[in-house]
Amino acid sequence: MTDPVSDVSTPPTVAPAPEMATGNAAVEIRDVSKWFGEVTALDNVSFEIGRGEFFSLLGPSGCGKTTLLRMIGGFETPSEGQILIDGVDTAGAPPYARSTNMIFQHLALFPHMSVHDNVAFGLKMKRIEDNIVEQKVHQALELVRLEGYGGRKIDQLSGGQKQRVAMARALINDPSVLLLDEPLGALDLQLRLQMQDELRRLHKSLGNTFIFVTHDQGEAMAMSDRIAVMDQGHILQIGTPEDIYEAPRTRFVADFVGHTNVFDGRVSQIDDNGECLVVCGGLTFRCIAPTGLAVEQPVSIAVRFEDVTLDGTLGSADGTGCSATVTEKMYLGGMFRFETRTAEGVALTSDVTNSDAARLVAEGDTVNLAWRPTNVSVLLE
Amino acid sequence: MTSIAARPANIAKPRSARKPARDHRPYGGYRTALWIYAGAFYAFLYGPLLMIVLLSFNNSEIVGFPFQGFTVRWYEVVFASPALLKALGNSLAVGFLAAAIATTLALTLAMAFRHQFRGKSIVLYLILVPIIIPGIIGGIVLLIFFGFSGIRSSLWTTVLVAHVNWVLPFAFLTLFPRLHGFDRALEEAAMDLGAKPWEIFTRIVFPIIRPGVIATALFSFSLSFDEFIRTIFVSGFDRTIPVQFWGLIVDELAPELPAMAVLIIVISIFSSLIGFYFMWRASRAAATYDRKAS
Ligand SMILES: Nc1ncnc2c1ncn2[C@@H]1O[C@H](COP(=O)(O)OP(=O)(O)OP(=O)(O)O)[C@@H](O)[C@H]1O
Ligand SMILES: [Mg+2]
Repeated sequence: MTDPVSDVSTPPTVAPAPEMATGNAAVEIRDVSKWFGEVTALDNVSFEIGRGEFFSLLGPSGCGKTTLLRMIGGFETPSEGQILIDGVDTAGAPPYARSTNMIFQHLALFPHMSVHDNVAFGLKMKRIEDNIVEQKVHQALELVRLEGYGGRKIDQLSGGQKQRVAMARALINDPSVLLLDEPLGALDLQLRLQMQDELRRLHKSLGNTFIFVTHDQGEAMAMSDRIAVMDQGHILQIGTPEDIYEAPRTRFVADFVGHTNVFDGRVSQIDDNGECLVVCGGLTFRCIAPTGLAVEQPVSIAVRFEDVTLDGTLGSADGTGCSATVTEKMYLGGMFRFETRTAEGVALTSDVTNSDAARLVAEGDTVNLAWRPTNVSVLLE
Repeated sequence: MTSIAARPANIAKPRSARKPARDHRPYGGYRTALWIYAGAFYAFLYGPLLMIVLLSFNNSEIVGFPFQGFTVRWYEVVFASPALLKALGNSLAVGFLAAAIATTLALTLAMAFRHQFRGKSIVLYLILVPIIIPGIIGGIVLLIFFGFSGIRSSLWTTVLVAHVNWVLPFAFLTLFPRLHGFDRALEEAAMDLGAKPWEIFTRIVFPIIRPGVIATALFSFSLSFDEFIRTIFVSGFDRTIPVQFWGLIVDELAPELPAMAVLIIVISIFSSLIGFYFMWRASRAAATYDRKAS
């Protein structure tokens, strides 16, 4: 069994040597654990976030995302381990003494203050001169495209406008690290996509480090430079969206990221050419064998929906295809999704771009499915 | 053409729509009973009050009916009596001070009660005990306590302490829900933006709960202003309005009594009404906040 933390891929934006990385990292998490009484919210987590990165913490409810974010922001203290911000150990520093700012899950705008006063709050607390405050508030409102809204009360704003006020309020102090705890969670899809764009734009133009918590894999994929996939207080994998999507390391990551057929199986054969056969419930998959794989070892395999084709010619070699009956055909705009079932009862899903051949296949038809060994990931845990 | 044009008007007022819609509210059939009940309720509640108001304007040396003519002379008597004015002043002053002290204490306690600490529930019961102790027992207990402590009964010592003691649990009970339901994320956001604990309180917490604090202070004032049983045990030579009133009733059924009663009622009702107004504002603010958060 490999340790899930040391198993993470080396991030491209952070230098591999740790002594160099310290200088580059905006945030460094070292062996951090957090317990709430009996509950382990985080279990010995270590990783680094590079300066200027858009970094997402992705995972299901209760996996410890908020807890980790709150520890970086200074609202919770780690039970064990260290958190370094800009290379400095933050132990014991309260939130008001950190170069981080947070956008809260329900925004937490001050209901008794105007938009202007909400945004100005951070500067007022720093005892900045009034004329500079005015100037900066003006700039911040301009940045989030809320010019002229300064006099409004908070309950006179739409959901999207409130989001923007929260962004302006958190960004006015020019934090080294901006922490975002599912700030888009309450929005409808349309507005959500719009605010995703807005956040990307702000990140590009400002260059601060953003740490973004979400349980929506699509959102994490669309926005992040790197993603950390979490489960039950562990970090399972850190990588670029492409890494995570194309080379999930664990069954959990493959499942969570979605659009993937995942099966439990057993290694039946390892060839000299580095390929192996994995048998999963009567269906055999040919895959590239990771080093150290043994015959009879239980593993999982993952094939993404779009890597399963309806083109029968590829399925000639053993373990690179099968025939199956289409149980459901869905049009997804630009492509079709076929849910199929093999004679052995294994369910496989295939996404096929909108071709004439795909158009002609109907529910109930028997089709030949095929995949390449290089597209089948072997998951050891 | 004309018939088509006329049609919308017909549709707009179909006959059946003019009839009141049959309602299907629960207990709808008990309407008459409810009206009778409500009528009796208000008659018993406000009948005596109305009678007192009438009597206070009755041009008669004897308290009672028949009505002998309208006069305001009993009010003139009340306002010309130094003893009564002194008592009124005492009551107002003690009321203000007791309200201020009890509200401040209640606010501090309510802030503390948001945290977990050892013996929290015991402290809560101790705060609430004065509510359940019968007034006469409370008065005797205080009298004995002050006697043993060697504190002489007077307005600014024993009476004030007795009033704060009596008012505090109510103040705590009105204020605590305001603070308990307060969204912690607002305080965290303020702290995140650089506010120190004291600034968080003065700039975020207090402004938001202010209507609740004002309401609490006004209710506290009303309670103190009306307090009689405990006060009479510990008031010594100083008199508050209820104590003075009691003296007048016992000595003689003075004709200015109704006028004085009306005065007390007006002050009490007035401060309570403003209190309810602020209470309503506080809960409305909380409601809009909840709507926003979800
Ligand atoms: N103050 C607390 N006291 C006790 N347990 C807590 C506390 N805060 C968090 N936990 C527990 O720690 C675990 C992680 O919680 P956390 O809020 O970090 O999850 P999350 O990943 O943010 O979930 P969600 O997506 O639902 O917000 C959960 O099991 C939670 O119940
Ligand atoms: Mg959370």
